Amino acid sequence: MTLLLASPALLLIAVVFGWPMLRYAWLSFHAHSVLTGLEPMANGGANWLRLAVDQRFWLDAGQTARFALISVGLELLLALAIALLLHQRWRGRGAVRALTLLPWALPTTMMALGWRWIFNSPYGPIEVLARSLGLNSLDLLSTPSITWLVTVFADVWKTTPFITLILLAGLQSIPEDLYGAFRLEGGTPVQALRSVTLPLLLPYILLSLLFRLAQAFGVFDLVQVLTGGGPAGSTESIALYAYFNGMRFLDFGYSSTVMLAGFLLLTSLILVGTLLLKSFGVLRHIDP
Amino acid sequence: MTLQLRAINKRFGERQVLNQLDLDVANGECVALLGASGCGKSTALRLIAGLDQPDQGSIRINGAEMVDVPAERRKVGMVFQSYALFPHLNVWENLELGLRMRGGTTSARDDRISSVLEVLQLSEQARQRPSQLSGGQRQRVALARALLRDPLVYLLDEPMSNLDAQLREDLRPQLRRLMIGGEQPVVYVTHDQQEAMALADRIAVMREGSIEQIGTPRELYLQPASTYIAQFIGRPQMNLLPAQKGVVTGIRPDDLRLDPDGTPCTILSREWFGSNQMLLVHCNSADLRLVCSGETEIDAEPRISWPTACEHRFDAVSGRRLPSD
Repeated sequence: MTLLLASPALLLIAVVFGWPMLRYAWLSFHAHSVLTGLEPMANGGANWLRLAVDQRFWLDAGQTARFALISVGLELLLALAIALLLHQRWRGRGAVRALTLLPWALPTTMMALGWRWIFNSPYGPIEVLARSLGLNSLDLLSTPSITWLVTVFADVWKTTPFITLILLAGLQSIPEDLYGAFRLEGGTPVQALRSVTLPLLLPYILLSLLFRLAQAFGVFDLVQVLTGGGPAGSTESIALYAYFNGMRFLDFGYSSTVMLAGFLLLTSLILVGTLLLKSFGVLRHIDP
Repeated sequence: MTLQLRAINKRFGERQVLNQLDLDVANGECVALLGASGCGKSTALRLIAGLDQPDQGSIRINGAEMVDVPAERRKVGMVFQSYALFPHLNVWENLELGLRMRGGTTSARDDRISSVLEVLQLSEQARQRPSQLSGGQRQRVALARALLRDPLVYLLDEPMSNLDAQLREDLRPQLRRLMIGGEQPVVYVTHDQQEAMALADRIAVMREGSIEQIGTPRELYLQPASTYIAQFIGRPQMNLLPAQKGVVTGIRPDDLRLDPDGTPCTILSREWFGSNQMLLVHCNSADLRLVCSGETEIDAEPRISWPTACEHRFDAVSGRRLPSD
């Protein structure tokens, strides 16, 4: 009976998630490219062996993880500060709350185009500003050691509002009386942040972490539009590499392998993260 | 007098919530702030606790002015209507949190928590989260926390309004034993007049931000200062007869009696409670409540009367009590 009631949802998951995953898994054990006349031909584990020694893939995996962890970390810290501020009562708070959400409401492509123009050399406003200050050209979008920071910056700018929204909802779920009780117990507002707010916000923090890590690990549109993966592949993500393999080199077998490997890496990243949180006793505070 | 409120004013936006409120509570005395919702009773409590600031006025505890003392240093033990237990901590940790912040050795803390848990019969629940407790157990944890505060004043904000009637009656003796009648003044906010009468030494009935009458339950019941008090204290409500020559006469339902020589009336409804029963009768164009013994036989067309000595007389315009002749 339970299964019967759950079947519509299960069916949906099977169609939109299960089937593509199985298809990826199947394709990853086949050669499927222009060389095979775009017909799948079983090639054993050749794709996976190729992946294991593919330096470009592992470089991209490292870059993707770096991008995801640093972006999401910064977003979380910023969002926490903003959410705490927006939770306080002050004049004009409603308008600021609405404004804060704007970057998130913007389509990624549009905002990436905007930043590409702002950071471009030599005509972008940043360059012009740098020149007027007598600095050399910054070349923000063509310096491998810097350009990845620009992608982080753009991602933080766009998705901090999203985490802010989740955390703000979390803050509003904490009853006001708890703060009153905490003060009467002799606690200062700063102590309340540590002993009341953060533990009770934890489920919301973990939710946004999970959500955003998964999203950032699969980053595609932002990088594609802002840098195209360059300069010199320094901002290329796993998703972008899979896209190049499939759409540019028409090697669907290997593209599927890259995509699936990215998925497995993300899953293990989240698994390791959960185990770490558990071993530090962080999850103990969440009411089952 | 250890708790003293003088000329407290408090506004929330356009609304004057407290209006020149004065209150004195002596050591070991329990004063109930009684009133309908929105009368300012909870606000008064929050001002004493320091969770809100008064616009004007003075709050003294043992003679010391408290208005500029932050809540965390006021030493008040408060029980919230919502209990305000920390959901992410178990019972023991909930009680330990405050003790830890206020210092002291671990062993002294443990001893105090164990003993208070024992007194409140919560030892078994020490490792449980608030979400695993029953309403009555949560309420006792909240009491335990207030007790461990070693407060100068106890503030109870509708501490029993989320419990069922049976549990409330069971908890009253516990409250009496642990908090009320100790050394500290107790301010007990409630909208339940029965609870106020059962627990308080004096009751302050609040209306529109100030105290309409304060006195012992007996005084309020026998000498209500206004028609508002008269109808607020005592159940079933006091009967108010239509005004005659500017005077409203009030009679308690228990003072009405069936009398073969009395005024004839018709029965509108009858509620039987076992030891007593309540009749709603129509008599001389007024509907009156009458309470008599459950054993009494009721005629289809009874006659009623009341002793003049039992009449309460109020001014029809102001509602204030008129001096008895």
